[in-house]
Amino acid sequence: MTHLLTQFADGTFHLLLKMFLIVVPIMVAMELFEGSRPYTALVHGWARLVGRLGLTENTAAPTLIGFLFGLAYAGGVIVRDTRRQRITRRQVLLMSVFLSMVHAIFEDSLVWIAVGASAVWVVGFRVLWAIAVTAVVGVVLEAFLAWRGAVRAGPHGG
Amino acid sequence: MNDFETTSGPAADVPMGGAQRSSLWSVLGRDVPRGVRAGIETFWILARAMVPAYALALVLREIGAIDALAGVASPVMGLVGLPGGAAVPLVLGYVLNLYASVGALAALSLDPHQITVLALAVLIGHNFFVEGAVLRRAGMSAVVFGVARALAGLAAAGVANLIMNALK
Repeated sequence: MTHLLTQFADGTFHLLLKMFLIVVPIMVAMELFEGSRPYTALVHGWARLVGRLGLTENTAAPTLIGFLFGLAYAGGVIVRDTRRQRITRRQVLLMSVFLSMVHAIFEDSLVWIAVGASAVWVVGFRVLWAIAVTAVVGVVLEAFLAWRGAVRAGPHGG
Repeated sequence: MNDFETTSGPAADVPMGGAQRSSLWSVLGRDVPRGVRAGIETFWILARAMVPAYALALVLREIGAIDALAGVASPVMGLVGLPGGAAVPLVLGYVLNLYASVGALAALSLDPHQITVLALAVLIGHNFFVEGAVLRRAGMSAVVFGVARALAGLAAAGVANLIMNALK
């Protein structure tokens, strides 16, 4: 029991410390750079890439943060932006699917590359996989929403 | 608060060009405290979700749930070309995190091909309790995403295994 509590205390301390040291600087950087020209250009470029998956400009920033740093940090920006009502639920779903398949591209991948996994596969294949899964979910979601819209409109509603 | 909603043209908050220099301190004076506040608020929201999830994961390991799950998962390992023992690092990754998973990897003797296949399954599906807590905060279902990530990870591992075998 004691070792469990020690591990919990130790693990929680490191988890929270790491979170704090990344979340607060990211938020400060976001407040400072949002609206600036380089930031807009970066997000715009990224938005063009992920736009093909149905993600909008407002969703591009948290997706980029998650892709680079991890789900918890993207989660922070998502929570903040949904509270500021910038992101719709449909966008959150697509973004969550993409980030579920791939996030923290450097940190997570390196952990496995260090023990002998192939970098090409854990990075390249995983990114392609994430794109494919998100695209499929997007198509299914569109079809579902169209079908539901048609059902709601009734037999004469087209 | 929606002052950045439209991104076309310079935002009113951060003046461009000459105006930027003269108002640098006022911009810093406003944005830095605002960022720190947003950071601490977000940190607090996530911490409240993540710490109980982490505690739950540790308890599950302590009561032997990981070993039990690994027993269930071990026949599935063969489908993606892994030995049954690979279920232990996989489930450790599901419940705890990547580091716990890699730690358990040392107890097995896997070749680089198998490590790559296992890596894909764990990199897609891991840390379900803590990351699920984050997804819940974003309004998604932690359970649905946990199950979907586990399945998607195994599917990706299986596909990768087939392609790598075909390329050999």
